[in-house]
Amino acid sequence: MHENNLLSLIIFAPLGGAAINWFIGRRLRNEKIIGIIACSSVGISTIIAFYLAFNSNGALRSTEPILDHLWTWIQVGRFRADFGLALDRLSGTYALFVTFVGFLIHVFAVGYMHGDSGFYRFFAYLNLFMFAMLTLILADNFLLMFVGWEGVGLCSYLLIGYYTDRKEAGDAAKKAFITNRVGDWGFVLGLMLVFFLTGSISFFAKPEHGVISALQAFAGMSADPFTWKALFAGGATSVAILLFIGAAGKSAQIPLYVWLPDAMAGPTPVSALIHAATMVTAGVYMIVRCSAIYTHAPTAMFTVAIIGAATAIFAATIGLAQNDIKKVLAYSTVSQLGYMFLACGVGAFVAAIFHVITHAFFKALLFLGSGSVIHGMHHEQDMRRMGGLRKYMPITFATMLTGWLAISGIPIFAGFFSKDEILWKTWSAGEFSLPSLIWSKALWFVGAITALLTAVYMTRMMVMTFWGSERFREKDIDHHEEGDAAQARHNVHEPHESPWVMTVPLIVLAVLSTVGGFIGVPYALGSLFSDHPVNYIEQTLEPVISHDPVSVPHVEGSHAVDEMQWLSPKPQQLDGPPAVHALEGPEAASAEHAHSPEEIRQERLLALVSVLIAAFGIGFGWLIFQKRPLLQMPRILENKYYVDEIYDATIINPMEGLSREGLWKLFDVGVIDGFLHALGDAVTEGGRLVRHMQGGFVRSYAAIILIGALVLIGFFAYFGAHALGLPR
Amino acid sequence: MRQHLLTILILLPVLGTMVAVAYSFAPRRQDDHYKWIALAVTILTFALSLLLVGGVGAAEFRFEENVNWIGAIGARYHLGVDGISLWLVLLTTLLMPIAILSSWTAIAKRQLSYYVFLLLLEGAMIGVFVSLDLLLFYLFFEASLVPMFFLIGIWGGERRIYAAVKFFIYTSVGSLLMLVGIIALYFIYGTFDYAAILAAMSAQPALLSPNAEFWLFLAFAFAFCIKIPLFPLHTWLPDAHTEAPTAGSVILAGVLLKMGTYGLLRFNLGLFPNMSRQFAWIMITLAVVGIIYGALVAMVQPDVKRLVAYSSVSHMGFVVLGLFSFTEFGMQGALYQMLNHGVSTGALFLFVGFIYERRHTRLITDFGGLATPMPWFSSLFVFASLSSIGLPFLNGFVGEFLIMLGSWTSNAIQHSWTATMLAATGMIWAAVYMLWMLQRVVFGKVTNPANATLPDLSAREIGLLLPLLILMLVMGVFPRPFLDRSKASVEAVRARVAAPPTGGSFAGNKPAGAQVEPRDLSFNALEGGH
Repeated sequence: MHENNLLSLIIFAPLGGAAINWFIGRRLRNEKIIGIIACSSVGISTIIAFYLAFNSNGALRSTEPILDHLWTWIQVGRFRADFGLALDRLSGTYALFVTFVGFLIHVFAVGYMHGDSGFYRFFAYLNLFMFAMLTLILADNFLLMFVGWEGVGLCSYLLIGYYTDRKEAGDAAKKAFITNRVGDWGFVLGLMLVFFLTGSISFFAKPEHGVISALQAFAGMSADPFTWKALFAGGATSVAILLFIGAAGKSAQIPLYVWLPDAMAGPTPVSALIHAATMVTAGVYMIVRCSAIYTHAPTAMFTVAIIGAATAIFAATIGLAQNDIKKVLAYSTVSQLGYMFLACGVGAFVAAIFHVITHAFFKALLFLGSGSVIHGMHHEQDMRRMGGLRKYMPITFATMLTGWLAISGIPIFAGFFSKDEILWKTWSAGEFSLPSLIWSKALWFVGAITALLTAVYMTRMMVMTFWGSERFREKDIDHHEEGDAAQARHNVHEPHESPWVMTVPLIVLAVLSTVGGFIGVPYALGSLFSDHPVNYIEQTLEPVISHDPVSVPHVEGSHAVDEMQWLSPKPQQLDGPPAVHALEGPEAASAEHAHSPEEIRQERLLALVSVLIAAFGIGFGWLIFQKRPLLQMPRILENKYYVDEIYDATIINPMEGLSREGLWKLFDVGVIDGFLHALGDAVTEGGRLVRHMQGGFVRSYAAIILIGALVLIGFFAYFGAHALGLPR
Repeated sequence: MRQHLLTILILLPVLGTMVAVAYSFAPRRQDDHYKWIALAVTILTFALSLLLVGGVGAAEFRFEENVNWIGAIGARYHLGVDGISLWLVLLTTLLMPIAILSSWTAIAKRQLSYYVFLLLLEGAMIGVFVSLDLLLFYLFFEASLVPMFFLIGIWGGERRIYAAVKFFIYTSVGSLLMLVGIIALYFIYGTFDYAAILAAMSAQPALLSPNAEFWLFLAFAFAFCIKIPLFPLHTWLPDAHTEAPTAGSVILAGVLLKMGTYGLLRFNLGLFPNMSRQFAWIMITLAVVGIIYGALVAMVQPDVKRLVAYSSVSHMGFVVLGLFSFTEFGMQGALYQMLNHGVSTGALFLFVGFIYERRHTRLITDFGGLATPMPWFSSLFVFASLSSIGLPFLNGFVGEFLIMLGSWTSNAIQHSWTATMLAATGMIWAAVYMLWMLQRVVFGKVTNPANATLPDLSAREIGLLLPLLILMLVMGVFPRPFLDRSKASVEAVRARVAAPPTGGSFAGNKPAGAQVEPRDLSFNALEGGH
């Protein structure tokens, strides 16, 4: 465990860039300088991240995190939240691809936003986003992570609503922020429950500051048994579910996914950076970071798996029927995020992170490619008005081709390895997080169907965009109710290839989408080609995640790990009885788990099935959409199952109506103020009555005095003075 | 000078009114000069009040002044400042020059009396926070009503008379009950002195019967809850805020409401700890209801200023929740949230004032797309709104989070987790009503041609906002200097009010939480009542 003050520069360089662009860029009005400031500030972060990760003492090589304690942010009583950063293997891996992909997208955006009146503002927000995202990743405690968590939400809000004169952009921005807030509700409560249970909110032990690690404290507890009651018991399961609510908001899972498709109203680089590659995977990151909690909460893991699988297939079906190129990619993102949560739910945390990384490559590529298409088509996003673009935009086409193959799961391309890993881990998941083994097969089946659908809708998108007739020339293809202005505009221009600032990032991402998967080739496949295959990603990440007591880690091709100091205690060290009594001891399971030939055979077989599914999906999509690119898809899918309408009708409108008519007009104005006014009127009326006594006639005053005196005297005469307790 | 600093702080604004009045007899006076006098006086007061910061930190009162006032009844002129009142005094003195600057062009009629009332108000408000004699406290508490009554009633909007009368009657009914309570305390303990009563209470706990404590708690609480305002006693607030001039709203939200929560903390929790514990569930229930109710009603307001006013109900609910959690987190957070609310909501009222001054309307539907003609206004307005929403690293978050942490770990009520979960929805609602308002006021296309050419903020307007905006950031990122100074004083109150329960409903409710050795996580919690 060592300190390195360079670490804080990773987050503060983009913050500086944001500040410079915000305060000075406004005056400069020079796109080149603004672009250079923005890109170089992220570039600095990238270089430092790589240096700190890979130098001889680097985070990815060492077993201990690099820490940077800046100041103690809040300290009240026992509660302590530091502004402290930590680069361990998990955050290091994350920081690497976030900074690098972020840098590429910044470069791309310089070309994409060319000529925009808010150029400086855009890059200030984008840099601010990098600051928040890196804070989220590098935070060494829950509360600082929450700072980044809300910060990325804010930047997402600002960037979705970037085109302030478009109403749908404002609506989408608001929706994104509020939906995320619903998730944050869970995050904050989960955080407080963590503090309540462990007395700490830190991820890492910092003995020199007297801070213990909350995660280690969880690792030392016994696991909650598998029961739904545990959800409300206030233990690890409750923590895990509350945190998952947060993750579901940020990472767009059912039922909080609705904001992400709408978020496409922002500029396309934003969609690529925030709503595909980095921010939306924050939920996955958080769950993997908290694997020590989840592996003690089988019910929560099961919930995560179910929600993940459901989201995956649900979003994929919607993606089939969208006509806006960005909407297809948005639902695809939701669906892929579902995969990642499925992986988390079955305990395959490494596979989840692996998929996050490959997804960042190919989805950023696809989004940027779509941005290039939109740019080349002069802001046309409807695929029904595209077609045949491969001639006009060869580089965009070629690069998107790799993205298409990667997401569909064709071997060699990055997506294949990660998706296959998730499917395999789901298939082979143990009984810890699932009530019975049937579930693992069922979840695998859902995942496989999703893979099929993915291949189909991506093929549809590619075909509609790049193949077929050049529909942008046709005048009257108006399926939409968009105005004539848009029609006229896009008929004037020919599509054109984008400038190099946009195509170079595409090419780099295309290369990564092609070869990026080789960092995580599973043993079963790697051993086909090499005697000692190395699964780098697994080797790197296994030591920093926890395992459920059933599937015990095995790091392929390396025994160095055994000598490592584990950051979260080894599962073997768990005290207390095993959660599920039917299970054998974890040690017994671990010995058998190590690549039995039977398992390798199964894994290879499943990989083959995955490939066949992908190939079938592509072929099927090709056959259908090549002939009829404008095939009318089912209405219910095109209308996204009417979920937005249902939310409006059941939650939002009743809430507003109740607040306006019930709480405000009826209760506040009617009941409370009504009561007060009645009280006031009563007093006034009473005063008016009594006023008649003050007529100004001496005779009536004399009469009143007489009556009063008689009453008083009569009172004392009747009760006697002692009635008042007066001395006699 | 240091030993009379508090007296100076109270009297300086009063002196300022005399200067202003004297100037009005000057042969070639100009109405425009009054505001300069007022500004100079308030800035001087603020500068002097900064001297307090260095001296305060421990639990006991500093800068004490204790002389005989009305000897016949033992009323004393007893002033002092501790960690609780320190920041509230500073908040008052800081907001005052800002309020005066915000009136710079908005107030044209009867300037002399306007600034005289503002200065008198400042003296009274400082007096409230530093009085350690109950009678003196009551005097200042009531004295603050009168200038505000006139500020609303003379310089207010269309329904100003209604609002002013409502404000006055509402709050004075409460404070009259408190006066009864104060006199009753005098009859029991023979003194009005806060410290003397506290000492007598711990020396002879039997002197105060539970029955008397019950009624006394109610009398005080009623006064303060109206002032806060706690649901359902809040209906004076939207009217008063909406009709008050901008400066009035800023002071009302920034300082006057804090008198209520300050009073709860200082007097209700301090003097009647047993009853506070018994009433905790009622207060927390009302607070939580207020958080949600205020937010929901704020959401549907057609008037920006009313929206901010209802949001105050929601935010002040958090403060009460924190106070009655009887935990260090909650009470420190509550105190911090008082400051936050003063800064953030004060700033929001300023923003509303700016557009009101330009357009003479506050209806949300009259605006839209202000980002185009007024970029500075819009950016800063969004910033202040985010602080009100409780974005981390801005001030609101620290307070709200600590309050929720406090109520989460609280032993004061049975279902503290439920209460916290409900209160935490306030975070969501805050985002809903603020962002919805922002979207309709700031973003979108300019729909109304009257808005297309609005001038952006002037240098004066940015200048008067700047201290508040900087404070939002500083208080969000470096809360410790603030929290550390109030720690000992808050802890002293907490120690009284959270005295170890003697069994019954409080015992064995929940473990103290947060032990270093982790608990077994199985089903203890279920049986434990949660």
